[in-house]
Amino acid sequence: MRSTGLRLAALYTTAFAVAVLLLGAVTLFSTRHALSGQFDRRIRSEAEAMLHEYGSEGLIGVVEAVHERDRTAGALDYGLQGPGGKPMAGRLAGVAAPMGWSVVAHGPVGREETVRVFKVALPQGHILLVGDDEDTIEALDGAVLQGFGLTLVGVVILGAAGGFALSNDLHRRLTAISGTAEAIIDGDLARRVPLRGSDDDLDRLAQTINRMLDRIGALMESLKQVSNDIAHDMRTPLTRLRQRLEASLATPDERSAAVEAALSDLDAILDTFAALLRIAQIEGGARRAGFRSCDLSTVAMTVVDAFAPSAEEQRQTLTLAPTGPAWVDGDAELLTQMLVNLVENSLRHAGAGANIRVSVSVSGGSPALHVVDDGPGAPEAERDRLFDRFYRLERSRSTPGSGLGLALVAAVAKLHGADVRLLDAAPGFEARVIFPAPSAATLNIDNAQSTGAGGRTG
Amino acid sequence: MKLLLVEDDKEAAAYLRRALAEAGHTVDHAGGGRDGLMLAAAEPYDVIILDRMLPELDGLAILRTIRAAGVKAPVLLLTAMGGIDDRVEGLEAGGDDYLIKPFAFAELLARVNALARRPPPQEVITDLTVADLKMDLLKRKVTRAGQRIELQQREFQLLEYLLRHAGRVVTRTMLLEGVWDFHFDPKTNIVETHMSRLRGKVDRAFDTELIHTVRGAGYILRGPD
Repeated sequence: MRSTGLRLAALYTTAFAVAVLLLGAVTLFSTRHALSGQFDRRIRSEAEAMLHEYGSEGLIGVVEAVHERDRTAGALDYGLQGPGGKPMAGRLAGVAAPMGWSVVAHGPVGREETVRVFKVALPQGHILLVGDDEDTIEALDGAVLQGFGLTLVGVVILGAAGGFALSNDLHRRLTAISGTAEAIIDGDLARRVPLRGSDDDLDRLAQTINRMLDRIGALMESLKQVSNDIAHDMRTPLTRLRQRLEASLATPDERSAAVEAALSDLDAILDTFAALLRIAQIEGGARRAGFRSCDLSTVAMTVVDAFAPSAEEQRQTLTLAPTGPAWVDGDAELLTQMLVNLVENSLRHAGAGANIRVSVSVSGGSPALHVVDDGPGAPEAERDRLFDRFYRLERSRSTPGSGLGLALVAAVAKLHGADVRLLDAAPGFEARVIFPAPSAATLNIDNAQSTGAGGRTG
Repeated sequence: MKLLLVEDDKEAAAYLRRALAEAGHTVDHAGGGRDGLMLAAAEPYDVIILDRMLPELDGLAILRTIRAAGVKAPVLLLTAMGGIDDRVEGLEAGGDDYLIKPFAFAELLARVNALARRPPPQEVITDLTVADLKMDLLKRKVTRAGQRIELQQREFQLLEYLLRHAGRVVTRTMLLEGVWDFHFDPKTNIVETHMSRLRGKVDRAFDTELIHTVRGAGYILRGPD
């Protein structure tokens, strides 16, 4: 049997049928046992009553009693024989049987009845027979057997029908799942397993499979995006590099300057590749295994301390709002790089004279990082697109940068389960990263054991 | 210095051998993991340059084996681009420094030189001196020609790094890693800015410059010859 449902149904039906058969056999046996015991007791007590009659009324009394009982419906069968077995009275008068219990056939030829007989001797050679028709028991047996037979047929029919329906249903639903898998193998990546909405185990399985397919789809999409981006955005610098090298062949005098420029072009290209690979690796999620308790304020201090002089040189200010510790579960190195990218984004695009303010907050248990500048900001429609790889605002095309800084921010935020938003600081630009509340272990951490941005030095 | 280069790419190895020899080093080369392991275990080297991806034997396996065998020579690991977790793994396996491919030769040379003359780890240094510049690590005090120089914490760390590597070129990346613990490359010129502030305090008021820029490589702190 190739169908799991059908096999299960057959198994259960067989088990039920066997149970019904066993129950029938036991019922039959115990009914028969109880009934024949009752019969025997009744026969024996009737025989005793007759003996008692004989004792008080004599033979005449017994004869009268036999006649009277013969006329009564539902009574037992009796027979009275004289000495030598001569029939005297009662239906069983002509029956020949040994003393005590026996089963004899009795009645007109062709319509004999099986009778269970108890034979006792009366004083003076007379003999008394008391018996009962065995057919009564057999009729009862028949009724029991018939009842259980019908039940058995019912069980088998219901089991088979139910099993068939069950296996049909299961088969249909499993076929839907494997059909979806086949369609995806054939390239239809948009296919999903149809849901029933019943939220049973199979429906939940289908939901899980669909979520898995969504995730795979998203990964494929991002992979495609990356290859498109590389193909598109690397062409320009590679073309420039090629032209430079060609030109250096043509003009030997300026060769070393040209080679130097080519090297710096090449470094920029390698940087872009490294950034793309890094983003891809972060998106892969393997770094999550190395998460530890990190203090955002330590990260912020390190970054502001490192970049403030550079900001000053560009006639900008970079300040850190005073703050207490804000613990998150994360990767200090990646968090540092995320903040560096946000700060560099503001340094580069906020323009001369801009004030850039980094702050760390904890509200409702959720730690957050803010980088706010008072530069020109970004148009609302384009803000979210800034997280895309290589996306740059029109007016920023001439400023240096790979267009990957905020993409990396988005990847790091996602790895940390954080929500990153670009907002209008009216006027200016605000990047806000809201982290999930840290784990209990991180919350309990002793502040002295700060692992923030410090630690290993190369 | 005597160096061991374990690198399977023939062209890259040939270029590095020539360039390192030009820089005054003696270079042994192993093209595979097994040769590399044998040489590293048998010969005393000042620095071992070890590629992570090798035929026959993985670079990390070699590193663990020679460390287990008691080889103390500093090891510079060369790792593939994008392996952001490789650094930690490499350091844990007993590596002393790492460099991501592709790299500038100046970077490799600076790191090899920095590794080779590392003072033995058990030696505790309490002050660093170059010419008339003195740094007291315990009191965290810097003087030049007897004059006190006030430095901010990060400037102090930067100067300490330069002093510890006095007479050797330190690159921008080495400083980012060693002073800021930044293991990525910021696009902003933070090293240059901090360095120019430091020079303002250490060199400007004095006749001889101690901190020099090495074009295309980095910085060097050295006394007048």
